[in-house]
Amino acid sequence: MADPSVPLIEIQDLSKSYFNDGVETPVLFHLNLKIHKGEFVAIMGPSGSGKSTLMQILGFLDAHTNGEYIFQGEPTQALDDDALARIRATRVSFVFQAFNLLPRTTVLQNVMLPLIYHPTIPSGERQKRAERAIELVGLTPRTDYLSSQLSGGQKQRVAIARALVTNPDVIFADEPTGNLDSASGVAVMQALKKLNDDGHTIILVTHELGTAQHAKRIIRIKDGHVESDTSDFTRLNTESAHNLK
Amino acid sequence: MHLTDTFQSALKGITVNVNRSLLTMLGIIIGVGSVVLMSAIGSSMQGVILGQISSLGAKSMVIFPGSSEGGPSALGAGRDSLTFEDIRELEQLGTITTVAPIIYGAGPATYGKEESSAQIFGVTAAFFDNQNLPAIEGRLIDTSDVNGNRYVALVAPEARDKLFGQEDPIGKSIKVGSNHYTVIGVTKALGSQFFQSADNRIYIPYSVARQVTGQKYVNYVTMTATESFAVAIDDVKFLLRRRHGIKNPADDPKKDDFIVHSSEEAGQILGSVSLGLTLFITTIAAISLIVGGIGIMNIMLVSVTERTREIGLRKALGATHRDILLQFLTESVMLTVIGGLIGMVGGVALAVITASIVKNILATYVFAISLPSMIIAFLMAVITGLVFGITPAKRAAELSPMEALRYE
Repeated sequence: MADPSVPLIEIQDLSKSYFNDGVETPVLFHLNLKIHKGEFVAIMGPSGSGKSTLMQILGFLDAHTNGEYIFQGEPTQALDDDALARIRATRVSFVFQAFNLLPRTTVLQNVMLPLIYHPTIPSGERQKRAERAIELVGLTPRTDYLSSQLSGGQKQRVAIARALVTNPDVIFADEPTGNLDSASGVAVMQALKKLNDDGHTIILVTHELGTAQHAKRIIRIKDGHVESDTSDFTRLNTESAHNLK
Repeated sequence: MHLTDTFQSALKGITVNVNRSLLTMLGIIIGVGSVVLMSAIGSSMQGVILGQISSLGAKSMVIFPGSSEGGPSALGAGRDSLTFEDIRELEQLGTITTVAPIIYGAGPATYGKEESSAQIFGVTAAFFDNQNLPAIEGRLIDTSDVNGNRYVALVAPEARDKLFGQEDPIGKSIKVGSNHYTVIGVTKALGSQFFQSADNRIYIPYSVARQVTGQKYVNYVTMTATESFAVAIDDVKFLLRRRHGIKNPADDPKKDDFIVHSSEEAGQILGSVSLGLTLFITTIAAISLIVGGIGIMNIMLVSVTERTREIGLRKALGATHRDILLQFLTESVMLTVIGGLIGMVGGVALAVITASIVKNILATYVFAISLPSMIIAFLMAVITGLVFGITPAKRAAELSPMEALRYE
């Protein structure tokens, strides 16, 4: 078992630049953060602030340029592609704004997809696990539907079930309500909140305060810097109101 | 990722768009199908030619008048270099037997009101020996017919059908040219030889043919070697050169006024024909498989582009470089395997249809397939899938998960 005092995610002086034709575009500057197991964190910021880049680095989809990223007490700098793929298969999972379900494929098959890349879960257990995950997001009656036969909210709940099925240490959700109407958005956020109540660590990226408010902690990113890191919604609300004036 | 998962993912990739997959496979289907069909036709033709050679007898030889100079048009009828005296001396050679001179012509034959053109062969009894040709009705021309200058005729099945229909020909009188002949028998069918029917023939005694035509030479001679072909051919050449006053120590066939062939040579010719056929088929296979392979590579590249987000998703879910590479490589190999199988089935089906059509023209043509060609064609298709699948699969595997997910 992991030591609970060790943060799940710790970044020290982390920077990220993109290089295009030899031209450096810095995106993140000297960030320091700790996220513990069981937290529900929202990373907020306007578009272009670097919040998605931060999530991609934390989710092992992209590499940072400088600084340290320590995951469960272990530095990740030296990990090769296969080791990163293994972490993505076993420790982290994602819910995307655009759902990213496989077309012409059933709900069950979509939810089972991550399990084919999981090195330790036996193939005989896949269906049972997938069905349990589908049940947790309340879509059991839609198990054999094709992904194209679902509403946007249902698609996103399938994506949540897919993120859940490997029992990862952390679930990253990138603008999960961005493509949904408000009612569906609320349902999706409630599903994520329920997962957090069950002990899952959730890191949410959003630019909507309403969505971020489902989280217990909000980290605001602006121009590649951490602007604020707080769970004080009152102050945030005041700031927002102030900004609107 | 288990191998079964790789297969299932690849199969899913192919079945998502069946029509496109079929069109992609078309090049491979045509490539493998044409190889199977061509090699089946080759095998069948080989059977036909081998059948003809074995019907000539294992030790069969033939001498044509003329020179090999100037090509095949210089061969055969109209040349008068083989004389009756040559035949008499050839008969004395110990290394050949059943020496059978043939005087050949074509002309109308009539029975009652039925008239038909036929090939007329003036032959001796030895001819039927060295050609392995028995009578199916009546009897063959024998030595007493030849020695006695008897006006008798032996008809081949097609000639009999044309002249007599259902009537029994034995003992009937037919008119060939201006002379009447009594039919003594019917020969077994020979089928076709070199795309010409060998069954529209009327055989008459050699001596009668000499008398009727007034010909001072023979059109060709058939015989059987008693020992090895090499010795028999040397003997024949030595004798004829001496008799014809030809000095040819270098054994240059252009200097001779005759040509000796053996069934062994026919076998060698067959060998070179089938080698040519094999090269031809291999060329077709190579070209069509390359074209098919390029088609597959093209569609796979399109498919990789179309499915960039899917690849990004799979990588985000934990797929390794190798998982993606194998998935796309398996897809392209699967396309060629399925295409190859369809091509094989189609090729065999076409070969069966071809056999049933050609059988009407060439009675000895039977359906035959060349298993090695089928296996080679199939393996080449699979290799095509591997070779042409590598580039798209590598492109897919090398995509960065984040960039792939962002792809619009």
